[in-house]
Amino acid sequence: MLSCKEVASRASALIDGELSTWQALQMRLHLAMCKGCERFIGQIRTTRDLTQSLPAGDAHDEADDGHISAILSQLHKGKQEGG
Amino acid sequence: MSTARAHEAALVQLLASGDRTAFEQIYKRHNTSLVRVATGVVRSRATAEEVAQETWIAVLKSISGFEGRSSLASWIFSILINKARSRAKREGRIVLFDGAGEDDNLAAAFDGRGRWKDMPELWETLTPERILAGRSVMEHVNAAIEALPPGQRSVIILRAQQGLDADEVCAILGISEGNMRVLLHRARLGVRATLDGLM
Repeated sequence: MLSCKEVASRASALIDGELSTWQALQMRLHLAMCKGCERFIGQIRTTRDLTQSLPAGDAHDEADDGHISAILSQLHKGKQEGG
Repeated sequence: MSTARAHEAALVQLLASGDRTAFEQIYKRHNTSLVRVATGVVRSRATAEEVAQETWIAVLKSISGFEGRSSLASWIFSILINKARSRAKREGRIVLFDGAGEDDNLAAAFDGRGRWKDMPELWETLTPERILAGRSVMEHVNAAIEALPPGQRSVIILRAQQGLDADEVCAILGISEGNMRVLLHRARLGVRATLDGLM
């Protein structure tokens, strides 16, 4: 029987589907009897979902236009200097 | 060729031809994450922004040599990591992403027999929009990610936010797949601890 500590250490592997059938079964057996671990797995699942739904970029920022122009002009300058 | 790959090939062609709209599109998709990953390596936000800018210049200069052996995002982040590491080296530091010497923050949660000392909370009321301590849950998540060590922070940004494949993340950071999974789990534990402290 796995301890709660062992279940917690495999929480990500379980929700990411990376455990073998036997390891997953051991986890399910523990979770069926342990409310604390069931809640913890729920917390890690929520954490995963929240981190995945964080937007990759910020909303449109006016500073972006300035940065983009700076990059393009530096590139252009480099090309001219390079020949 | 898959639709995503075909779309990317078309984007690469546009970038190579100097199309500003294509550049704006890709800049907005990746720049925030580039700065976030770089900040974990060079420590100062201003330097990280410079590193991101140097990365974009290098990307545009060499885009015609991009052969599509990895995804475009993976190629861009590899360039960023190389530049950030060189900058850290100039500052006298060597940054590794393997997480050696780091521990997870859960050890104290268990008794001597590995059982929970306190029952974990039920988080059913935690939604992205909820305001806790004056900020939305998503702002707390963001701040928690920014406080993680470089390896954990890079893995969670590249895997969760940028959606890169596991093998691409391992190649970019120079770590094994097992190591990457440990870092991802620790990163989630770190974010979870922040949220748990607010509930």
